[in-house]
Amino acid sequence: MSSSQAPPPEQMAVVLTESAADKLLPFATLVSGAVALGFRVDVFASYWGLVAFRKTPTAPSASVSPGHGEDGARLEAALNAPKAPSWKAILEMARSIGDLHIYACSQSMEVLGLKKDELDPLVEGVTGVATFIDRTRSATISYFI
Amino acid sequence: MSETEPPPATAVAAPPRMVVDARGSWCPGPLMELVRVIKDEPVGTEFELLSSDEGSRKDIPMWLEKAHHELIEVRPDSGFDRYIVRKTHD
Repeated sequence: MSSSQAPPPEQMAVVLTESAADKLLPFATLVSGAVALGFRVDVFASYWGLVAFRKTPTAPSASVSPGHGEDGARLEAALNAPKAPSWKAILEMARSIGDLHIYACSQSMEVLGLKKDELDPLVEGVTGVATFIDRTRSATISYFI
Repeated sequence: MSETEPPPATAVAAPPRMVVDARGSWCPGPLMELVRVIKDEPVGTEFELLSSDEGSRKDIPMWLEKAHHELIEVRPDSGFDRYIVRKTHD
């Protein structure tokens, strides 16, 4: 649905640098909430945030950041329960209902020796930081995770 | 139709209603489910969304208001709520 009268959608920009489950789940939750509200969401996956998108033969079990003791163990158990949603499944659903774009940070690709075809298809391309900033210059919400 | 004859009971067809059971789904899962079915189903369809997520109580009415669909009723049940919703436009 598009109209020449309609204002451009609001936009959210997210820089993801972490790969622990207790970062990825809030990340996927924020993204899906914004997409549900009609935001265009642009994600720059960098360093461990990019490694999180590396394809693996089987889904790795969720592991949380260290230093949370019993709470961390409880969260890990909850996230690895059979019916728990995976952060990637949440992103896939977000993309199916809205306007979500995920880019790989070109510097991280080079430093970590990653190739585009090693990444999950959710990642639509490799971009430099300036291109990401340019794409998100009108974002009204931005997060660094 | 004759004026003297009462309309048959089936004349007013109930709109189709689809139950969307999102109980146990974490925030914003129930909202995502609702957005998805509203996108896919025809105008006029009613939905009965079941959610046990407390966040839904504010998220669902807020989204429906912004998206201009109708919230017919919220019925609390045991441990979850039923949101009766109508898709009003494409």
